[in-house]
Amino acid sequence: MSASHDHPSEHGDVLTDQPKVVSVADRHPRSRTIQVLRPEAKDVTFLAATAKGLGITLKHFARNFFLPLKSAKDRATAGAPIEDKWKNEIETIQYPEEKVTYPERFRGLHRLLMRDDGNVRCVACMCCPTACPAHCITIIPEESGGNGVEKRPAVFEIDELRCVVCGLCVEACPCDAIRMDTGDHAKPVEDRADAIETKESMLARGIRSIAVQGGEGANWKTGGPRGHNHDH
Amino acid sequence: MDIVYKILDFPGTKWVFLIVALVMPLASILTWMERRQSAMMQDRLGPNRANIGPIKLKGILHFVADAVKMIFKEDFIPANVHRGLFALAPILAIAPVFIAFSIIPFGPTVYPHALTQTFDPTLLATYPALAGADQVQFKQAAELFSDPIRLQIFSIDFGLIFYFAVLTLANYGGTIAGWASYNKWALLGGLRSSSQMMSYEVAMGISLMGAFLVTGTLEPGAIATFGASASMSGSNPLNWLWLWQPVGLVLFFTAAIAETKRAPFDIPEGEPEIIGYFVEYSGLRWGLFFLAEFIEIVFVAAVICTVFFGGWQVPFLDADGFRIGGYVDQITGVSTGGSVWFLPHAVVVLLQFAAFGIKVLLLCWFQLAIRWTLPRFRADQLMSLGWKILLPLSLANVMVTALIKLLFMSGPETP
Repeated sequence: MSASHDHPSEHGDVLTDQPKVVSVADRHPRSRTIQVLRPEAKDVTFLAATAKGLGITLKHFARNFFLPLKSAKDRATAGAPIEDKWKNEIETIQYPEEKVTYPERFRGLHRLLMRDDGNVRCVACMCCPTACPAHCITIIPEESGGNGVEKRPAVFEIDELRCVVCGLCVEACPCDAIRMDTGDHAKPVEDRADAIETKESMLARGIRSIAVQGGEGANWKTGGPRGHNHDH
Repeated sequence: MDIVYKILDFPGTKWVFLIVALVMPLASILTWMERRQSAMMQDRLGPNRANIGPIKLKGILHFVADAVKMIFKEDFIPANVHRGLFALAPILAIAPVFIAFSIIPFGPTVYPHALTQTFDPTLLATYPALAGADQVQFKQAAELFSDPIRLQIFSIDFGLIFYFAVLTLANYGGTIAGWASYNKWALLGGLRSSSQMMSYEVAMGISLMGAFLVTGTLEPGAIATFGASASMSGSNPLNWLWLWQPVGLVLFFTAAIAETKRAPFDIPEGEPEIIGYFVEYSGLRWGLFFLAEFIEIVFVAAVICTVFFGGWQVPFLDADGFRIGGYVDQITGVSTGGSVWFLPHAVVVLLQFAAFGIKVLLLCWFQLAIRWTLPRFRADQLMSLGWKILLPLSLANVMVTALIKLLFMSGPETP
């Protein structure tokens, strides 16, 4: 008599390790006597398993203790086959001294790009704070003072603690003024205020963009490649 | 000068020396070593950063950082705890281990007047007989061997029984901590620590009885000095009890790991279920429980080293130097003959003290290796291991040892 006979709904035949039922009480079919299998000797003593486990862990210990570390490059590529068999298996990157190079499309810390004359490229069009889902961009525009550009940001701040690194600000920018291609992440800070990137700090990381932009110089209307400014 | 040697031979002095020079450094380093070794076993690097200025020492200074952290943490005492017992429990956990260290021989007997010269154990054994024959020689020898300093705090006949008795008290630390904390999880942890103690303690005592039968003594100093057989030098590794009591060694090692309440026998702690008997403790009081655990590791290693691995003996280093060949004089009990590389007494003593430290360190290392290899036992698995496997096996070990001793080792063996 097996358990599946009495309660086909509760005990399907799928469960093969069900205890063997020895007898069932007449009045109450759920009161059953079951037979428990005695564990085998190898399961009880644990000694063989202990020795095997110690063999594995001590092999790793000996290798990692006596052999030198792999090169930082080998450690950075996880799962790569070990070329030098006289190196240990530790994969740890010792962070401040050793760094993993981020992938090419990694969205890192923001930076603001510059025009040829070194002024900020941003025209304070407010596209990026509008697109920003985290509301972490603060722009206060001002008159730019007549170089053909109407506005520029007086204040351009990004709170890196609120930023969700989605990259929508870069997508939204019509004039290639903001980018996230620094390949670096937001630095740890001791004060929340220190996590706010200002216009100056982001410009310090910036370069001169070669993209075509409105204002003085070549634009999409006049056409032609960039370099118009250099011609005269 | 006599008073200096008296002070040096005073048990309190030796106890302070043992604790300060060997136990505390080892236990402190073990807190770092455990993390570092487990990292090595798992292909990680482990803590290697703590430093004082440029001094880094591969991160050994982490124990200093830990201590500073624990000292400056808030010592929080919850409402409704029994304040007296709550304060007493960490001390009850750590004090018995310190007391039990008094039976451990951590070196040979030092004869301070003979430090610079090669030691002559035959003269030491025979010079009382010179008293009537040659007064001048007798006086010289008596002066040479005066003021001995025995590197063992208490040499008592019931040494290892004393250890069982005292270390059982350490268990009250955990139980009382659980009881006084006014916390159900802590109480469960305390109860588990008691029930675990019941399961292994019997087997632990009986597993050493084979060793007592072989050596004919309970005194760890004598076991370390003379080994199993009187026909071999005590420094011969074949004379150490690992060869004569292999089953006893495995059984005792298993029970001793249970005694330290660490994985795979860390049932009183169980972070995911009951946290442990010290769940309400913080700061330095918790630190005492933590330290007690590591000191117990050192102590267990010291006992196993003394009983099964020759204690402070360096392989083939007798009292007068390294000896290959040779035999044990059956009258004086001293190893003689063979080819000897004579060494001054001071060098021999230093080597033997260092050997004790190294052996204890290696055994601690092995305990850590076991702790980071095995998954933890369930409470019922521990019970069945203790009562159904360790106890019968240790009883069988005693029977077989007694039978062999009776049949093949005739005559009373008094080492």
